[in-house]
Amino acid sequence: MTYALDLIADNAPLLLIGLRATLMLASVTLLSSTILGVVLGTLATVRARWVRLLVALYVETFRDIPLIVTIFTIFFGAPFFGVPLEPFPAVALGLSLWGGANGAEIVRGGIQSVQKGQREAATALGLRPWKIYLLILWPQALRAVLPAFTGLLALIVQSTSLGALVGVTEFLKAGGLIIERSTVMQGINPAFEIYGFVLLVYFLVCSVLTWLSRRLERRLGRSTTTVRAPDAARL
Amino acid sequence: MAFDIGYLVQQLPALRAGFLLTIQISAIAVVLSVAIGMVGASMRVMRVPVLAQFFAAYVEFIRNTPLLVQLFFVFFGLPALGLTLSLFWSGVLALTLWAGAFQTENVRGGLAAVAPGLREAARALGLTRGQYLRLVGLPLAVRTGLPSMLNTCVSLVKNSAYVSAIGLQDLAGVAFDRIASDFRAFEMLAVLLVGYLALVLSLSAAVRLIEHRLQAPFRA
Repeated sequence: MTYALDLIADNAPLLLIGLRATLMLASVTLLSSTILGVVLGTLATVRARWVRLLVALYVETFRDIPLIVTIFTIFFGAPFFGVPLEPFPAVALGLSLWGGANGAEIVRGGIQSVQKGQREAATALGLRPWKIYLLILWPQALRAVLPAFTGLLALIVQSTSLGALVGVTEFLKAGGLIIERSTVMQGINPAFEIYGFVLLVYFLVCSVLTWLSRRLERRLGRSTTTVRAPDAARL
Repeated sequence: MAFDIGYLVQQLPALRAGFLLTIQISAIAVVLSVAIGMVGASMRVMRVPVLAQFFAAYVEFIRNTPLLVQLFFVFFGLPALGLTLSLFWSGVLALTLWAGAFQTENVRGGLAAVAPGLREAARALGLTRGQYLRLVGLPLAVRTGLPSMLNTCVSLVKNSAYVSAIGLQDLAGVAFDRIASDFRAFEMLAVLLVGYLALVLSLSAAVRLIEHRLQAPFRA
């Protein structure tokens, strides 16, 4: 036990670099998933049927393909389109496309949870469509989607671990490097301790987010119909 | 580099083997995870001391940690405890533990939806808790929980692609290997995208069909 703690303390700088990369990746992904989610989720509620169909197609595609395949496709496929991507942007792009699909579902649910009369009243008052969204629907949908987006962030944090497979030195990869280094330099294999520690840190970070999501749901759920948070099975 | 159908045809046997491994791993993990779900949900609903808390913690832990790290922990970490599993069984174990947590929640939701009067009636008739679960609770719970249980199974099949990360030659593993060795990313990525999409979509369609059939008695 003390040996494991010593090992973690000795390698703290590397672990911190990894943790920082994980949080960076998660932030970038959250930001772009939110933008993509709002755009696509809004388009999923417009009148034109073909637009809704296209959005549904996008959402289904990115939720049904294993995330690991999406990320490998972007990382290994990009050079063939003449735009080789570094690992970090490749992973960020893959996660964002996937996160955007999940975000779109949440935003669509949020907009649809706003009472129908609100949109009708706004239309009757002669507001233009973009003003209806900007002034009436989005502000009310915000309350409904907040818990679900917090839940999505927990999933995003988890999914950043896939970066380790294409060479992003995020938290999991940092752990892997420490194990390798100890095996080569000291002849020990601390895989159990290190990966156990990595699991624990992910658990702490994601538990806080999950807890926050549930709390928000209880708080906001009293006055609004909130959108259900996506399941971790969705990864 | 153009899309080369000839190359793809040449790789078909390997891809077929990978596809079969994907199905095999998923099938075993589906069965085992449903079993975990039944046991876990029963323990939680019956408030069996210690075990109920254990399963609650297990579910929380799995849901809040990445599957990839769980997989690495099982494959690289567990040998330290003297539990050395082959690649195949490491993959199965990790996927089972992962899906088992979601199945526990699914079955628990089903059990919670069983009308409380039925449990009281079972008790009045002198059924033990085990008999109640086996004869009344679980059959009903599975019926109401089936859609979510099947959805978890579909997710499990999809996420079985993760096992390629420890070097298993499942569908994704074979394709990633070929990309690395032959530099034919185009063909292989196309196979992966189409393959998984077809697999998941057909399973989802099957789920919806079953759901529809199950709703039959409740339709007017």
